[in-house]
Amino acid sequence: MPETTANVHWAAQKERGSFLGIKLTAIAVRLLGRRAVTPVIQLIVLYFFVTGRAARHNVRDYQRRLAAWSGRGNLFPRSRAVFAQYLAFGECMLDRFDVWRGKLRLASIDMDDPDGVRDALLAGGRGQLLICTHLGNLDVCRAMAELGEGVALNVLMHLPNAAHFNRLLGESGDRRLRLMHVGDLDTSAMLELSQRLERGEWIAIAGDRVPEHGGRVVDVDFLGASAAFPQGPWLMAAMLRCPVNLVCCLKHRGRYRIHLRRFADAAGWERGRREAAIARSVANYAAWLGERCLEAPLQWFNFHPYWHGTNGALHAR
Amino acid sequence: MNDLERDIARLIIETLALEHLGVDDIAPDQPLFGQGLGLDSVDALELALALQNRYGLKIASDSRDARRHFETVRSLALYVQASGSACAS
Repeated sequence: MPETTANVHWAAQKERGSFLGIKLTAIAVRLLGRRAVTPVIQLIVLYFFVTGRAARHNVRDYQRRLAAWSGRGNLFPRSRAVFAQYLAFGECMLDRFDVWRGKLRLASIDMDDPDGVRDALLAGGRGQLLICTHLGNLDVCRAMAELGEGVALNVLMHLPNAAHFNRLLGESGDRRLRLMHVGDLDTSAMLELSQRLERGEWIAIAGDRVPEHGGRVVDVDFLGASAAFPQGPWLMAAMLRCPVNLVCCLKHRGRYRIHLRRFADAAGWERGRREAAIARSVANYAAWLGERCLEAPLQWFNFHPYWHGTNGALHAR
Repeated sequence: MNDLERDIARLIIETLALEHLGVDDIAPDQPLFGQGLGLDSVDALELALALQNRYGLKIASDSRDARRHFETVRSLALYVQASGSACAS
């Protein structure tokens, strides 16, 4: 029954792109070039589009909400809008291989950084937190490490096989990027992260996916309806008492642009009023995210149910 | 309560902003978690961070050992002492 799969948590859905598949595709891109691999990727995307009724439903749900919330009916293509979002995902995958191969250089990326986050990164000093999103290309983190010219970046993500990817990155000569599985975040890992921050390393974590086993979430308005967001990244900032920055990397007319914002300084959060500070921050983050969605409507790559009441399921993600 | 225990109790109060409590309100053998002081896992993590910064304490992992050290102010003091003398020797 498709409706049941629609309610499955994003992390519990069968890993639809296995590590081996990614590695094989990476090799194919390297050997055959991007142009040759593009139709293959499009076929794969078509396969997921045809077989994944629940995900199709979720994408359509997102598109309807964004259009209604913004009052702009022309945000999405008139026909095949859902498939267009799938194609955008395929293109993003291809771009990721370019990033991994080091083909996407800094010079070909535009910067939108009015607050000077990049300067803070280059200035050294104590590390900070970067909150990223599944809107646009997440591998911006790799580019960020390059931006920092040697600043080590710890990327926390849902990645049970983080060791594999670290090896892959190591093979490609990148040792400034360290991937960590959020599920492995125990006390000692947190203590280590704290020490890394003191040494000047930065931490990146996604702010738009709730933890797998319930966990701490906060409900805020997102595109006009209530959605659950994780508290984890903000709690981490509160504990580490460090500044929080937002980052996302969107493709505008074939060119990537990294959007950076200085967002909040958790050092100033009073412990007694922390819950309120987190709730406020998440609400602001969701508002910021909504605005970014308008800039790149098709680059929303959360294909799981995002809002409460989607398919009648609460906390479905 | 010895000096180290008082110090740790003060650290707990400051770190967790337990402003309604004084150092003498936390008995050295009072359980910190669950029924005792009622701290939760996030508090534990924060406390571990504070202890690390103050005493250079390394908490190995989420092992049963670590949980035992965090039971009371006294067990924390003993742990700080033990790791301190380990560093000194």
